[in-house]
Amino acid sequence: MSAKFFYNEEALDNLRISDPSVLDRLIDHESFRENNLKKSRLKVDKRMSLHDAIAKYVEDCDVVADSGFSYVRTPLQAHFEIWRQQKKNLQYIGSPNTIHSFAVFTGCCNYTHNSYCGAEMRGTDRQFSKAVQNGKTKILSEWSHGSMGLGFKAAQYGEPYVAAHQLLGSDIIKYNPYVKEVKDPWNGQPVALIPALHPDVCIIHCQQADMYGNGKIFGPAVNDIAVAFASRKVIITCEEVVPELSIRFDNSNTVIPFMIVDAVVELPYGCLPGSCPGHYYWAREWWEWLMRIATKNDVAMQDFVDNWIFGCKDQYALIDRLSRDMGGFGYVDNLRRMEKAEEYLIEDSGVDFTYEPVIPKWD
Amino acid sequence: MNTPAPANPFEQLAYNIALQIQDGMIVYVGTGLPMVGAMLAKKTHAPHITLVYESGGQDPWEGPMPWSVGGAATFRRAPMSMEMAHSFAMAANGFVDIAFQGAAQIDMYGNLNTHFIGGDFHNFKSRLTGSGGGNDLSSLSETFVLVGLQDPSKFPVKLDFLTSPGFLNGGNSRMEAGLLGKGPQSVVTQIGVMDFEPESKRMRIKGLNPYCTVEIAQACTGFELIVPEKVEEIPAPPEDILMVLRKEVDPHKIFIEFPPRVK
Repeated sequence: MSAKFFYNEEALDNLRISDPSVLDRLIDHESFRENNLKKSRLKVDKRMSLHDAIAKYVEDCDVVADSGFSYVRTPLQAHFEIWRQQKKNLQYIGSPNTIHSFAVFTGCCNYTHNSYCGAEMRGTDRQFSKAVQNGKTKILSEWSHGSMGLGFKAAQYGEPYVAAHQLLGSDIIKYNPYVKEVKDPWNGQPVALIPALHPDVCIIHCQQADMYGNGKIFGPAVNDIAVAFASRKVIITCEEVVPELSIRFDNSNTVIPFMIVDAVVELPYGCLPGSCPGHYYWAREWWEWLMRIATKNDVAMQDFVDNWIFGCKDQYALIDRLSRDMGGFGYVDNLRRMEKAEEYLIEDSGVDFTYEPVIPKWD
Repeated sequence: MNTPAPANPFEQLAYNIALQIQDGMIVYVGTGLPMVGAMLAKKTHAPHITLVYESGGQDPWEGPMPWSVGGAATFRRAPMSMEMAHSFAMAANGFVDIAFQGAAQIDMYGNLNTHFIGGDFHNFKSRLTGSGGGNDLSSLSETFVLVGLQDPSKFPVKLDFLTSPGFLNGGNSRMEAGLLGKGPQSVVTQIGVMDFEPESKRMRIKGLNPYCTVEIAQACTGFELIVPEKVEEIPAPPEDILMVLRKEVDPHKIFIEFPPRVK
C-alpha cells in the first residue's frame, strides 16, 4: 500500500518501516475533519458502562492516545478494559507512554510512538526493552514530551503543523518520520516542523463531568486538553457525574466541551493503581512490584498481568486485592488521606507517608 | 552535641547541585538527586527560587519531596497548573533559568543519551526510557546542569544515541543547529563539578570534591578532560547545611542513603 503522505526517508530506513501507510492515520486531518462532521450534534445522555464504551469506541487498528501522566490521572482502568477485551493491532501514542509496556505484553499494542517509557525513579522498564528488541512492538516514531505535546496542540488549534526549536541536532529527529527540519522562512534558521497529531481514540479521566460530556480536570492537565480536541473519538471516565447545572454555575476547570465527547463513564477509582488529584494517592506497592519483579521476565510479567489486569473484573476487585490485609475501606481511605495531605487540602502533619518496600531490600 | 557524620557521596552531590542554583531563579526539576539539590538550595542560600515541573505543576507550596514529576507535591496548593506544551513553552520563551538532567551517557560536549546502551537502535544491550522532557529542556532552557555518577562507560567518547543536545560537536554548532539558550553550564558528579571550555565547548574540570584528584577524575572518564591551571577545591557541606539536608529535605533518606536503597 502506498502512503498518503511524504515521510522522512532517512527515518523510515532507520526505523525499518517498509510500509509507511501505517503512519498515515496519525496525521490524517482530512479524515479527522470528516469524522467530526459526522459526529452527532445532539446534547444527549452519553453515559454507558466501561465495558460498552470500550467495546464500541476502541476498534482494532486504532491509534490510542495515552493520557494523564504515567500514574497521575491516567485512566488505567479503561486501558485495562481495552486489554481485557483483547483489541488487536493498536498503535499507542502518549507523553509519557509508560503504560505501553503492559499494553504490548497483553498483545494489544503492536506499534508504539515513543517519548518516555518508564516510571522515573522506580526504574526503566525491562519488559518494554525486550518487547522492542524481539519485535513484539515496533517503534514508529521517537519524540520528546514537548514536541509530541506541540503536535497535539497543533491539532487542537486546527493547524497543519507547528515549527519548534526542540529535536534539532539530536538523533530523535532521525528516528521520527513525521518531523521535518526546514529553514524558518523569516530568518533562515533551522526549525523542526511538527505535524498535527490525530489519535483515533482517547480516554480522558476527569474528576467531574456531566452526562453530556462537559468535563472538568483538576491539577495538571498534562496533554489531555489538546489530546481530547485532537482525537477522533473521545471517551471520558470520571470520578463522578455531576448535574449539568453545577458545571454551568461554576465552570472553572471545565476543559472539555460536550460536542467532542462520545461516551461518559462514571468510574470512581478509575485511575487506580495510579493516583487522581483531589481524590486518591497511587498504590505504591503495585508499582514497586511491577518495576522490580514483574518486568524482570515473561513468567513474572504474565503472573502480574493475570493477577492484576485479567484477574480483576473492575476497579473494586483491584482494591480488594490490594487491600488484603487492611480491608478495602481502610486501604482506600488511606489513599484518599495521603493524596489530600500531599496536596495540602487537609492538614498533612498527622498523615504518615513512610513507605516500606514490600519486596525485601537485597533480594 | 555530637559531630554529625561527614557527608556521604550523595550528600556531597546534592550540595554541589544546590550550589549551581542562584537565588531568584526559575528552576525546572526532575525527580531524584536534582530535586534534593533544588530543595536544599531553597531551604538555604536560595529561598526565592520558583520550582516548575513538566507535567504542568508550578510553584508548589513547600511540602514533602515529590515521588514523581506529576505527583501531588508538584502542584501542592499551586496558584495554577499548566499543560505540558505550555510548561515547555515557558522554557522556549525564556522563563526557565536552569534545568537539571540525568543521563545514562554524557559525552565531552555535554550531549546526553537516555535511549539505549550498546549496539544499535534495533539491537541494543538495554533500552532506556527515551527522551521524556530531556530533549526539550536541553534544547530550550537558558542553561542546564548534567547530573550523574561518573565512570568511563557513562562518559564515553561517543554516545550510542544523541537524545538531548549539549554543545553538539562543540564550537558554535549548538547555535547553528537552531537551538536556544546557552547550553549546559556544568556537570555535577561524585568527582566534583566540570564546566565547558568557552571556545571548544569541551568538558573541563572546574572543582573537585574532597579527597578527589585530577587522576581519579580522568580515570572515571572515557575521554580526555581539560585540566585548567587552577582546579578549585570544593568544600564539604558545612554542618548546618548537612543537617538541613538530613532532617528537612530528605528525612526518610529516599535519595541520600549510601549505599543507595533499592528503589
